Amino acid sequence: MNTKKAKEGLIYLYCITDKVPKLKEIENLVDKPYFIYHQSLYAIVNKVKESEFDEENLKRNLADLEWIKAKASIHEKAIEGIMKDACVIPFKFATIFNTEDNLKAMLSQHLKEFKALLIKLEDKEEWGVKIYCNSEKLKENLMQEDEQLLNIDKEINSSAPGKAYLLKKKKEELLNIAANKKLNEYGQVSFDRLKEKPTGVRINKLLPKEVTERNDEMILNSAFLINKDKVGDFLNIVEDIRAKYTDKGLFFDCTGPWPPYNFCNPKKGKIHNG
Amino acid sequence: MDRPIKTLQDKNSYLDLQKEKRITLLEVLDRALDKGVVISGDIVISIADVDLIYLGLKVLLSSVETMERLRGTPFAGATEEPT
Repeated sequence: MNTKKAKEGLIYLYCITDKVPKLKEIENLVDKPYFIYHQSLYAIVNKVKESEFDEENLKRNLADLEWIKAKASIHEKAIEGIMKDACVIPFKFATIFNTEDNLKAMLSQHLKEFKALLIKLEDKEEWGVKIYCNSEKLKENLMQEDEQLLNIDKEINSSAPGKAYLLKKKKEELLNIAANKKLNEYGQVSFDRLKEKPTGVRINKLLPKEVTERNDEMILNSAFLINKDKVGDFLNIVEDIRAKYTDKGLFFDCTGPWPPYNFCNPKKGKIHNG
Repeated sequence: MDRPIKTLQDKNSYLDLQKEKRITLLEVLDRALDKGVVISGDIVISIADVDLIYLGLKVLLSSVETMERLRGTPFAGATEEPT
């Protein structure tokens, strides 16, 4: 039994769509993805090996960042290939079925939700904006702008050492408060502008420096669902806030279009966003 | 000021430019591994499994709370996707 299963392999589900998918070759992938048609839905899948993707091996491989990068890149490219020509529902990395029948059973079970979701996502794109803050730069700017801080600086220069020390402490405290206030203001204004055009908005958890590989701190991790004809307007807004806040210490990382990973969360049912 | 997007063609070249740098570990962790439809398939990576990946990176995820502490207050109107 086991040996038979090992020969057959597992089925890896990338995404589903309701139009005949145009399948493309993917770099670093021997087998081209194929589709399974079931009840008006097309599931774009690939055969994968048990030695990589069964429960035990998958757990082991998840400890290997290089493996994750390589496989997640294939996952992403497979979906992007399809979404060029059709609206897709992306599945989470490593969604695996033992048999084609199991996959079809899942499609039947969630048919209504998937169809509703495809209607909701039609003609829309997901874009991501991550905002980072360089607090040193933010504070340098404040030191030149904030009158209270400028005054305290003058006072420090004309004070005896003891008093100067206390004033410096006070200055530091005021600077931190002012920096927080500014950061909040810049973030709020940016976010308000970013959500002008999209039909869907998600705020995600912040990622630490070890993951972002940047020296500045992430202050906003957001995703937007945007009608295709509004994407140009959205990108212009990103350029506006970028022009406004770059000198003040903010950095805007805008990427897209992504498969709508953040917006395939039907209200009911067993499906949910991770 | 030059607008980056004027025509569809401009938009496409803008997308080509960022294409190569896009699939970074950061985006992988943030999207394909963390989001997308989760169904009760035969094998699915659980949230606990994703946490293991972060453990492998020897980092702890900061939460939305951290952002709120950093900024003082949450952004107004930061909502789930409207339906």
